[in-house]
Amino acid sequence: MRITAAIAGGIFGLLGAAGQAFFHVIPPPAYGICIACHMRDLVNWIAAHIYPIYGLKAGGAIVIPGGPVSYNFPLLTIIGILIGAVIAARVNKEFKWKVMRVWWQKPWAEFFLGMLVMISALTFGGCPIRTALKAAYLDITAFIGLIMIAVGVFVGCQVLRKLT
Amino acid sequence: MDLLSPIASIFLGLIMGYLGQRARMCFIGGMRDYYLVRDTYLLKGLFSFIVCALAGFILFQFVSPAIKTFPWFLDGGAVFAKKWAAMGVTASPSLILPVPGDPITWSPKAGAHIILAVLGGFGLGFFSCIAGGCPFRQHVMAAEGSKSAIVYLVGFALGAIIFHRFVAPFIKAVLV
Repeated sequence: MRITAAIAGGIFGLLGAAGQAFFHVIPPPAYGICIACHMRDLVNWIAAHIYPIYGLKAGGAIVIPGGPVSYNFPLLTIIGILIGAVIAARVNKEFKWKVMRVWWQKPWAEFFLGMLVMISALTFGGCPIRTALKAAYLDITAFIGLIMIAVGVFVGCQVLRKLT
Repeated sequence: MDLLSPIASIFLGLIMGYLGQRARMCFIGGMRDYYLVRDTYLLKGLFSFIVCALAGFILFQFVSPAIKTFPWFLDGGAVFAKKWAAMGVTASPSLILPVPGDPITWSPKAGAHIILAVLGGFGLGFFSCIAGGCPFRQHVMAAEGSKSAIVYLVGFALGAIIFHRFVAPFIKAVLV
């Protein structure tokens, strides 16, 4: 069976809800799937355990800036995604070393873009996937966020048209 | 020590990574393709995500106590009120308080949360569009061997530390 984006999106949505319902990925709520937040938890957990001054010590325990679910041990979604995607690429023979052609997607530019995306995502409180998950959790601010993401992509498309 | 959530999340990630690679899943890419070439293949993924997550929350709230705050715009106010009582803040909850996650999580100012949503959402859409895909897609591309995406992930990880070290204190100083 060919996996289309619609099928994958539906499965992701159910997994996000099930992660909160059955696998204790809470608190905060609507945290089942999030790329930026889970990456933040992982990075902060590692940083706080290498340099304890980074984590705020409260009664002996290291409290990391991030979701309370990750205080003891961080969520490992990022590792899972990388392993799963490597398996999929290897099995279907799509793995190939490459670099994007256009200058704004060369590695040095992507480094700063990645940083800016992470800062914007944490300002809002989630990557696009968690924004959609929050919207499904019927949070009105997330709908505003989704609309602003669409506006941002629209402006970005105008810039891309100018650049190409 | 509750290890269920990390172990579950690694398997969740495995499934997501595999399916995401097969389907070329990307929400930002869906919006971009729609604007540029009117292609709805990826945009269907976004709508089916929201619909299925909503259906999942509606169904699972009857069997799992973890979803007791489900319609957030109705039940979220009670969560905030409880937290404020513990913090000694007097404020009345409103409908538009967000799910915890942004840097000023328990602030009673609804307007500040909306400012953050507008700024963050716009930046997220704009920079992701220039970078060529949402964070999830970049992870999948890194696993497919794109060197640009691997460097993106390094910047992405460092961004978290920069945010909590420099940007979050600034936001708190300005908005709280």
